[in-house]
Amino acid sequence: MSAGTSTVELTGVGKRYGRTRALADVDLAFDRGVTGLLGPNGAGKTTLLRIVATSIGADSGEVRLLGRDPSRSHADVTAVRRELGYLPQELGYPSDMTAFGFIEYVAVLKEWNDREARSQEVRRVLDAVGLADQASVRISRLSGGQRRRVGLAQALLGDPRLVVLDEPTAGLDPAQRADLRRTLSALGHRSTVLLSTHQTEDVAALCERVVVLAGGTVRFDGAVTDLVATAVGRVWLADEPGDDALVSWRTGTGRHHVVGGRAPVGADPAEPTLEDAYLLMLGPDAHRVHTPS
Amino acid sequence: MSSTPIVTDAALVAAVADGDAGALRELYERHGAWLHARLIRRCNDPEVVVEVVQDTFVALWKDARRFRHDGEVGAWLWGIAFRRMVSRLRSRRDVVLIPEWDVSPTLQQVMPSAEDQVLLGVEYGDLAAGLRRLSPEFRSVVQAVVLDGLTTKEAGRLLGVRENTVKTRLHRAKAQLRATLTEPQEGWR
Amino acid sequence: MTTGTEEWHADPALLSRYLAGNLDAVTGASVEQHVSRCETCRATVGRLLEPQLLERTWAGIRDGVERPTPPYPMRVARRLGLPEPTAVLLASAASLRAAWLVGAFLSLSFATLAAYASDGTALAPFLLAAPLAPVLGVAAAYGPRQDPLEALVATAPYGRTRLILLRTIGVLVSVLPVTVLLGLAVPGPPWLAAAWLGPALALVPVLLALAAFVGPRIAATIVSLAWSGVVLGSTRALAPTWPVEAAQQGVYLGLAVAACAVIAIRAGTDRQPGVAL
Repeated sequence: MSAGTSTVELTGVGKRYGRTRALADVDLAFDRGVTGLLGPNGAGKTTLLRIVATSIGADSGEVRLLGRDPSRSHADVTAVRRELGYLPQELGYPSDMTAFGFIEYVAVLKEWNDREARSQEVRRVLDAVGLADQASVRISRLSGGQRRRVGLAQALLGDPRLVVLDEPTAGLDPAQRADLRRTLSALGHRSTVLLSTHQTEDVAALCERVVVLAGGTVRFDGAVTDLVATAVGRVWLADEPGDDALVSWRTGTGRHHVVGGRAPVGADPAEPTLEDAYLLMLGPDAHRVHTPS
Repeated sequence: MSSTPIVTDAALVAAVADGDAGALRELYERHGAWLHARLIRRCNDPEVVVEVVQDTFVALWKDARRFRHDGEVGAWLWGIAFRRMVSRLRSRRDVVLIPEWDVSPTLQQVMPSAEDQVLLGVEYGDLAAGLRRLSPEFRSVVQAVVLDGLTTKEAGRLLGVRENTVKTRLHRAKAQLRATLTEPQEGWR
Repeated sequence: MTTGTEEWHADPALLSRYLAGNLDAVTGASVEQHVSRCETCRATVGRLLEPQLLERTWAGIRDGVERPTPPYPMRVARRLGLPEPTAVLLASAASLRAAWLVGAFLSLSFATLAAYASDGTALAPFLLAAPLAPVLGVAAAYGPRQDPLEALVATAPYGRTRLILLRTIGVLVSVLPVTVLLGLAVPGPPWLAAAWLGPALALVPVLLALAAFVGPRIAATIVSLAWSGVVLGSTRALAPTWPVEAAQQGVYLGLAVAACAVIAIRAGTDRQPGVAL
């Protein structure tokens, strides 16, 4: 990845909230494709995404988005925002707007001034998230998953070059996740898509590339398959949990799935999953996120 | 478009009340064209007809809950549409046509086939002949109240007469018709 | 006697004649009575009409259904030439809704009535309400809590500052003219009718400037309390018109200038993403 050509470049980026260090010395670069930000709550994912979405500025380091420095001038940050789609972690919806009306409002904020073109674009993005028939329904009457999809739809307006999605899969069932995967992979051909999640299934399903973030620092940055490869030889299926295992749990067959530490007696090596690699990458923080699948 | 619908109109209206825009589209597919046709027969301004049909279905979207499921959806929609058109054209009386009751030789009158006449006649029987023999001021009242479903008050407003006049004329029209009929026909109550 | 017609359907030729207006009234009425009850014939009519006409009508229905009707003040503004995208942005502002404007109008009317009825001695309600109406209207028009789309507004090209200013202008345009008219009914020296404009046009920038630091709700509270203090406090020992006399107007002007300067500087440093009005 040669410098100066990536869509998103973060060099030595840091951010503090009062005494808390949200991000420390983050070096990342993103290009076309779908990248997942994986990490436990409080890892700094949302802060990182907000910086990339120009919602907040970094305290230290350099941020370059679409070849521009958003803190340099109003014109620069506006130019970035013209090619940006953002789904914040918490999005409020005015209860008496229809899905169509809500997205239309955002479209006007994105400078879609021609009414006919704007209507067509709004319908296009609603269709892309499978809500074409709900366009005229009031948001207060939509389910949580549907509201999230409305939020996703507005992020797709104008086919932006940079798409930032904070927890897009929250509230979606597996079928909807599959739809999302299709939408995002099509999007990833043309745009840089950055999404955050704390669930490894999402990363496995949606992303080619993954960044593991914990405690405000980057623990891993590379292809999903490479992350899984780091766990080879460190995961076992055994009758007893290992004494110095990082995490272990009982599987349905009665044996123990053991991650990390030394191989317990009589253990068979197991095929590592992304979850295992993620837990190993987190190291001592792993016990905070471990959820047996 | 299937001619034997699996979903009833009433079920579609219930779906519209729930916010289903697809159901609204389906109802439009079923009833929109006929509403256009019936309206254009009474109003020679096609733009007004388009607007009235649009207003009707938007009103349906907003008020679908009010449908009382005690009659045909088509008739209910017609009630909304015709009233809307009447109020819209209240100041433009020239545009509202009360269909011409005289069989005028100057119009290109093509009579329906004999079979159609017979079968249409089954709907109305001698009523048709009786209707033709009605005096002019009775015809407009019958058209407005009986055929188009307005209340006597609304008919009064449309025709520019008092409600009592409408009632009287209706009463006399029925009396005239009764005189020419052997038995009352369906559709008059 | 109509059972026989259940299997009978009007043939397309007959329906075409109906559509062309070539049937006499009675035959036409017969056709209508039948088709109204027959879905097959309705479908036939559907095939006989021009598809473009039906599609065009549907496009209008869809438009009417997707966008709820804008509030009445917005429709008036559109007819007066307000650009369409701006109308979309303003339509969602709570204080530009008819309900809010009616409420503001009523409060101001009562205040005017009080002044009129007391023959100019009870000016306090009017002097209190007239400048605060636009202030509260502006405060109600934006803010992270009022604006659930805050995060999207902040990261959109249109700009949060621009949106706030747009809404401020919208509120001023809708509230000030009515208040001026009501002011004419207030008894007293002729300059009183417009004197309240001084504090009104000063308190709004002060509100905006304060809101940039503490948010619109707290700022509105501070401004309201401060102005109430000035008006009510002055009724004890000073003339009823004291709050809007020349000397005080000078102070308001100074405040307005200072507030505008603060706003300008703050908006200028808007380059730092996330820092805005």
